[in-house]
Amino acid sequence: MTVEQISTVADRAKEATASGRAPADGRPRTSMTTRRHRAFYMFTSPWIIGFLLLTIVPMVYALWLSFTTYDGISPHWRFIGLDNYSELLADPVTWDSLGRTGLFAVTSVPLSIIAGLGLAVLVNRPLKARGLFRTLLYLPAVVPPVGAGIAFKMMFDQNSGAANGVLNIFGIDALGWLADPYARYVLLMTVLWGAGNIMIISLAGLQDVPRELHEAATIDGASAWRTFRSITVPLLSPVLLFQTVTGVIASVQTIMPLLLAAEATTAGVTAIPQSNYMYMMHVFAEYFALGRYGYASALLWVLFVLILIVTGLIFRFTSGVVFYNVDPEAKK
Amino acid sequence: MHTPAGAPPSRRRFLALAAGGAASGAAALSGCALQVSSGVSGPGETVTLMVKPEDISPEQIKQAQKDIGVKIVTVKHDITKLIAMLTSGNPPDLVRGVGAVDAPFFAARDVAEELDPYFAKSSVLKVDDLDPVNDLWRYDGRTQGKGPRYGMAKDFSQDSMYWYNTTHFDEAGIDYPPETEPVTYEQWLESAKRLTQRKNGQTIVFGGSYNGLYEVTNLSGLTAAAGGTLFNDDFTRVDFTAPEARKALGWYIEYGRTRVGPSIIQPDPNTWDGPTYQAGRIAMSNSGYWLGGLINADEKLAKVSRLAPAPMFEGGRRVSSCQGGTGMWMPRKARNKDAAWRVFEWFFGEAPAKERAGGGWGIPSLKSLRPLMPAEKDYQRQVLKVQEAELEHFSVISFSPYITGDGFKALFNQVAPAAMKGEISVDTLARRLNSIINEQLARGKEQVG
Repeated sequence: MTVEQISTVADRAKEATASGRAPADGRPRTSMTTRRHRAFYMFTSPWIIGFLLLTIVPMVYALWLSFTTYDGISPHWRFIGLDNYSELLADPVTWDSLGRTGLFAVTSVPLSIIAGLGLAVLVNRPLKARGLFRTLLYLPAVVPPVGAGIAFKMMFDQNSGAANGVLNIFGIDALGWLADPYARYVLLMTVLWGAGNIMIISLAGLQDVPRELHEAATIDGASAWRTFRSITVPLLSPVLLFQTVTGVIASVQTIMPLLLAAEATTAGVTAIPQSNYMYMMHVFAEYFALGRYGYASALLWVLFVLILIVTGLIFRFTSGVVFYNVDPEAKK
Repeated sequence: MHTPAGAPPSRRRFLALAAGGAASGAAALSGCALQVSSGVSGPGETVTLMVKPEDISPEQIKQAQKDIGVKIVTVKHDITKLIAMLTSGNPPDLVRGVGAVDAPFFAARDVAEELDPYFAKSSVLKVDDLDPVNDLWRYDGRTQGKGPRYGMAKDFSQDSMYWYNTTHFDEAGIDYPPETEPVTYEQWLESAKRLTQRKNGQTIVFGGSYNGLYEVTNLSGLTAAAGGTLFNDDFTRVDFTAPEARKALGWYIEYGRTRVGPSIIQPDPNTWDGPTYQAGRIAMSNSGYWLGGLINADEKLAKVSRLAPAPMFEGGRRVSSCQGGTGMWMPRKARNKDAAWRVFEWFFGEAPAKERAGGGWGIPSLKSLRPLMPAEKDYQRQVLKVQEAELEHFSVISFSPYITGDGFKALFNQVAPAAMKGEISVDTLARRLNSIINEQLARGKEQVG
């Protein structure tokens, strides 16, 4: 069937729908638009049902819990209105953990992006065995978090870890890496360990930068740094924005490396060093160690709203510096 | 409202359908809350156990089918899953629990079945054969250790006792602790300091480890050894500023501060003493008789290992409690109670109980099984002699139904590190602990009613 024939069939179907006439065999026929709608909804319905079931329903349930003293098992729970919210505003542990989490986000996100982008720039150059380097640098990102967590714990153990073994070789006394004040640096290292993910996305972005722009800059005598700053970074800015937004969201929800570094019991995880006692650890302790489902749900809702605000602010403050390589007329 | 055939489904209709689907899915998911991880097929009744994998082996599950004709399926123990199952009215038939901290918590919330009528009828588990440790599973609505039974311990230890490695004592030129008389906690800590070996900022040998099973059971035991009680009479408050509790807290903080053993500020990467003691890196390990199961498996280690009585405070009283009493309880809404009780009898009084008694991983919870405890080798007889003498000092230290062991630990972990690092005084810590723990106890009291 040629393009013209398809157009003719589609036009006839449109005409029939518009005039309200049924086709010759008397059965109602579905229009192309209807079928496209159906196909769209059929393909998206698993996600939408999953979203409702696994996101919206739990969120609404958690919102309801946040107005109660419910602990999942005790018989005399009650509605307390906004008391959980007013308590969390006065809870120093909430503010301390939120402050630590904010500090962790503003440190770890830029460092991860710089590390990932730096690696991407390196492996985008015409090196020998470039594919091997790319694979090796990406490998840590595919190591399961549980394995990575255990490896870090063993590596940085004060009394038997490899890190202190190296220090001892240089005559430096062993450090308590997994305790304060060093534990925060180990956490940062576990995050940077997974910079391969950022590298891959940045690499894809770098390969999308037109080569002729770089060539033109070179002909004009621009230095490598100037080319990177004035051509590469602006063209990569949508990718960097994406990484910033997802990085911030992931960092404020950091919990997995903290759980892995701790004793594997419900309350044991609260024994992590104070400098790593992030907001999600506070939530975890309130939910599972103290059984305060209502209070912990309030903490989660506050975090959700904060994430929305922070994300909104990032979009607002970057709207003038992010360069989208699309034809503005095409949007109309 | 009918949608004409062929018309595209509106967004509103589609979302309504999706929401309906989600609601149905939610209902279906709650029905799937009980996920069975293992089991054996065959005729007879089925009993669901929520346990840890090490509690019952696949061979024992098969054996149960042969011995008592009951099919056992297991669900991995998880408190969150348990609460979901209890809430949905679909609990397991038997649940693992730590008597010392779980029994009053679940009994007070009316989710555990009273087992007295079952014990009364049983020809396998006779009340006069039950070791006093099983009183940890009793609760009279106010005090643990009295009233109806809600569960039973599978085995137990007096967890304030400690093992020591004679090699390290010999190297440090320290006399071995007496076999039947306790040292004081002050002496224990002094020995731990002398036994600790450090090099280049690393601890090669921990002089002593003293953390108990839970912070609350450990601190309750220490307070009792100082001659006091941690909780008030109705278990609604703690008072760490009381002289005995203050003494106990001060000792434990000093233990952490001197870094002679693993603690919250100096965690053991193995998370428990077993592997570290086995590697010869702990001179004294605050683990009761049960650690003998691991020690006996290594004859070389067993020959240099001794068990010693629980220490006491200068001027305090001699008390040697069980901080665990791990066993099982039956939810009130269990569906198959009679078959569950048959499994209960079999697990606590028949083949598995005999097997455990002979393994050395704890003292049997039935007095009649004590002759099965390992005593073939000299070192086993030494351990048994010390243990038998210690049993005379056993007592139940009651715990509050208004907080969990995990809850207490989480709150303790929030404030104790600062004291162990010398940033705040023990008195300040005591006041802070009173404040946050009493707040949690008040919440628990309100919810239990």
